[in-house]
Amino acid sequence: MSRAIEHILRDLEHIAIRHDSERRVRIDLASEALPALLELLKGRAGFVHLSAISCVDWIDSGEFELVYHLWSYELNTLVSAHIRIPRDPGVYLSVYDLYQPAAFFERDIHEMFGLYFEGSPDMRPFILTEWNGPPPMRKDFDSEAFVNQTFQWETYHPDWLKDLEEQGGGIDKRPEDIR
Amino acid sequence: MSNEREVIGIHAEAKRGNPLAHVFDELTRFCRARSLFMLHYCTGCGAIELPPAMTSRFDMERLGIQPMVTPRQADILLVTGYVSVKTLKRIILTYEQMSAPKYVIGICSCTVNGGMYWQSYATAKVLKAYLPVDMYIAGCMPRPEAVIAGLRALIDDIEADRAESWKRYYQHYDHYLGNQQSLFGDDWQTPTDILAEAEHYGLLGEHTRGKHTALLERHQRPLEALEMRLRVPEEPE
Repeated sequence: MSRAIEHILRDLEHIAIRHDSERRVRIDLASEALPALLELLKGRAGFVHLSAISCVDWIDSGEFELVYHLWSYELNTLVSAHIRIPRDPGVYLSVYDLYQPAAFFERDIHEMFGLYFEGSPDMRPFILTEWNGPPPMRKDFDSEAFVNQTFQWETYHPDWLKDLEEQGGGIDKRPEDIR
Repeated sequence: MSNEREVIGIHAEAKRGNPLAHVFDELTRFCRARSLFMLHYCTGCGAIELPPAMTSRFDMERLGIQPMVTPRQADILLVTGYVSVKTLKRIILTYEQMSAPKYVIGICSCTVNGGMYWQSYATAKVLKAYLPVDMYIAGCMPRPEAVIAGLRALIDDIEADRAESWKRYYQHYDHYLGNQQSLFGDDWQTPTDILAEAEHYGLLGEHTRGKHTALLERHQRPLEALEMRLRVPEEPE
């Protein structure tokens, strides 16, 4: 099974194929080679199902990692193709022409990470409501500061707590101190 | 007997001379507290405790509480769990469609103060800021016993005429609308005209109008009826 995949991908250069288990294959490759890889997998090995595209923000190395999860109904194998692209400017090619469901995944990643996909049919806002902040899934997005700025907090000082505090007791750590 | 008449007489003065008004009010509240239809808006995980509370194990129906399918026929709005900004819009629309008197119960810690999602960018933390909440049932999540206990407390409140949050929504509409506008933008408008309703029911308070309602009135469009059109395909000749 896995040898079949290696045979199909023999022409591609600079790729690392790792067999995590019998039915899981991880492929690391350069971002330029990804369209060729997807085309080969789809055309030769029946990887017709793009399950998801996931994105990881590696802020320390200044890169986004994109993971394309592909499933083949013939080989019953899950292939994860990992590429890394520079965080700035954060632009990559759409695979919409190969896999049409990619449009939603790319739109979602665009909204959550601010990564732009060239050639994707629709890059409008998707799930977030009334959003005018930075993309929230980026590592440099300060969720706590955003929450403090946007939402209200309930102040909670019941009477029985006042009585306790007068006797020297009370809450050890207040929520405000933990935040 | 004479003593009773005296008691009624005292209230009769307050009730513009109708000796039975007080009795009717009490009877209404008594009946109202024993036939509550509940719209459970299952926003989050707390909803999982409702099926046992509703069905034969804990049996909400023995208290006269039943689930209802539409907001317009419901008395209680049960918000179970975290409220994302997107859901909050729907909750407000639902709440405003309900006919008064209406009661809101917030279940789970998330509706009280964000709960375990306190750091999330997507969830509104304090439900009370956007809607008048009659009762919170805290817990993550509260067991059906706690839900039933909360509902019993609400029943007691209704019977004692203490559950009047729905009036607060009309009387302090500016406050609630301001909080809603801060999340949804200045052009936020619901199909229900709360100001006109408040005026109609005589519930205008000194805090009903303010700068936020002024902002609303500036761009408010009257609700238009949906156009009904029947399209009959022409027969090919």
